[in-house]
Amino acid sequence: MDETVAEYIRRTVLKIPRDEIKMMLQKWGFLSEAQLQTLNFHQVKDNISQDVVQLCEENSADIKQAAVLDIIYNHTYHNKRMWSVYQMKKTGEELEYFDLTDFKKKFKKRLRSALKNVTITFREYEDNAIWIRVAWGTPSRKPNQYKPSYVVYHSQTPYAFISASVLKSNLPLLCQALVVASNYHDIREMELRSHSLNSLKDIVFKRYSQNFQTYCPKPLQEKNVEPENVDLRIVQENRSEKERIQRVNQEVFGDGPQPILEFAHYRLETMFKSDPKMDILDKKEPFRCLVKFSSPHLLESLKSLAPAGMADAPLSPLLTCIPQKARNYFRIREKKGLFPETFVSP
Amino acid sequence: YRFSRGRLREYARLLGAAIAADRHRGLAVQVGRDTDIAVALSSLPGLQGSDRDPAALLVQLSSRSQAYPKNSEDKIVWSGCFCCVYGDDLSENLPEDFTCLPLFLANGAETYTSIVGSWFQKTFDCSFRRLAISPLSLSWMVAMWAGCKVDKGASAVELVFSVPCLSQPLDISYAIHPEDAKALWDTVQKTPGEITQEEVDVFMDCLYSHFHRHFKIRLSAAKLVKVSTAIAQAHCDGVVKILHSQYLSGVLMLLTELAITQIQ
Repeated sequence: MDETVAEYIRRTVLKIPRDEIKMMLQKWGFLSEAQLQTLNFHQVKDNISQDVVQLCEENSADIKQAAVLDIIYNHTYHNKRMWSVYQMKKTGEELEYFDLTDFKKKFKKRLRSALKNVTITFREYEDNAIWIRVAWGTPSRKPNQYKPSYVVYHSQTPYAFISASVLKSNLPLLCQALVVASNYHDIREMELRSHSLNSLKDIVFKRYSQNFQTYCPKPLQEKNVEPENVDLRIVQENRSEKERIQRVNQEVFGDGPQPILEFAHYRLETMFKSDPKMDILDKKEPFRCLVKFSSPHLLESLKSLAPAGMADAPLSPLLTCIPQKARNYFRIREKKGLFPETFVSP
Repeated sequence: YRFSRGRLREYARLLGAAIAADRHRGLAVQVGRDTDIAVALSSLPGLQGSDRDPAALLVQLSSRSQAYPKNSEDKIVWSGCFCCVYGDDLSENLPEDFTCLPLFLANGAETYTSIVGSWFQKTFDCSFRRLAISPLSLSWMVAMWAGCKVDKGASAVELVFSVPCLSQPLDISYAIHPEDAKALWDTVQKTPGEITQEEVDVFMDCLYSHFHRHFKIRLSAAKLVKVSTAIAQAHCDGVVKILHSQYLSGVLMLLTELAITQIQ
């Protein structure tokens, strides 16, 4: 077995939390059940990984099998990577039957025609998700297995989720191969990025509970927002306002759990307008700002701003449109014409 | 109390001994068994505001490998600087035998900072505390520094807010193009060379209302935790970064004033 393959397998196993190693090796299926029985999973990880490498040596593992183990690891711990969403476009309307073999063949052919040294690995998962792992090399160097790119393509949709490696220059080639293999004709990057792959899928596949702008349900009388204080001496001063905020929040954000995003970026190029009393800065040029919101669960934290008294309800559509518009990068310019208070986001 | 400029060498020796003793007890950073910590104390006459300010005192800890003393150079592992820039308020009413250097800047491992701090506390009967910078002071800093003239390509004027008491914590970074921030400050400031609380408030209110117009969020209710400009950066925990040597004196003067306020 190649020494580099051995080292790669060893390092991959080291990444896995000790309690999960057995399960992941089983999913991998490269080592037989009998071989797995010989492993002591209670020793230090260093020793476990050495033993695994030893067994792989017996089975003469090559880089193809090692790459599959890496895909399994990244599929399980997909939240460790940053994912960007891409959308593909077709020219015609025909829904072609998706042929997996044909897809793989075309993908490999397109990549290999441009770059000889690449490692390409595929693995199919439930809900039509195809995971593709690509390790990149150069004409003179073998592929760097430690900085691969991952593509998660849902064959029944025009969406692909890409976690590129640091080598951004390979991204156009990757996109091209994807477009050619899936019989689309164009691809564009959506302004949507997050670590939570499932949340990105929820957003583009519209799997989260959305607000319905046209239908405004009356709040149910029995539905209590917070448990009321038992002490009757405490009276809610702003009860009606509190209830209004809750109702508006619900209309805007919907009832169900929000997709998990970690940040939203806004590049503001709008005019500065102050209180007319203040007589400040009447410039003709925009007031250039860059605003970044970050949180472990951005949409949940935004949703709780108004009830906490820190924001108006309803919250600005610039923030609440994030799931519907399927983006978290915005560029806001002043809208010219009748309503200078509204903004355009190109 | 009873600090004497003439005895710097002796102080360095005593401090060095204190550090070595701490390491013996296993309390200090483990630099390696074969390295020694050398202490150097020196006066920095340039770092003052007026002549009434006492000269700054520089403390440096450097490590030298014992095994190969000739090969390796001394590497500075920790620096501290006591200074006073325009601290007139304090030096006026100072009793005899007292030297007052209200601002202490430390750079390096926290363990060394605490050893040096405790030694000075024991030896000169003084007290050390982290300088917490309030949102009010931070807004002064950002207003002042945003108004400074800077070169092209200067970094943005950034305010970082934290909203901790929500179901999920939220951080908001509000960065403004330095030219636009300066233009705003220039229209707010009425008398050049003088800044009033009212002007700082107007400046901040402008920024808050521009933000509110877009996002409907009241930034004034969030906690301002960090400000950053091309001149300097300051964090509410007392971590400061000075980026422009031209304005060093101004930044230190502001910090000295904050330190004196906290002492009083």
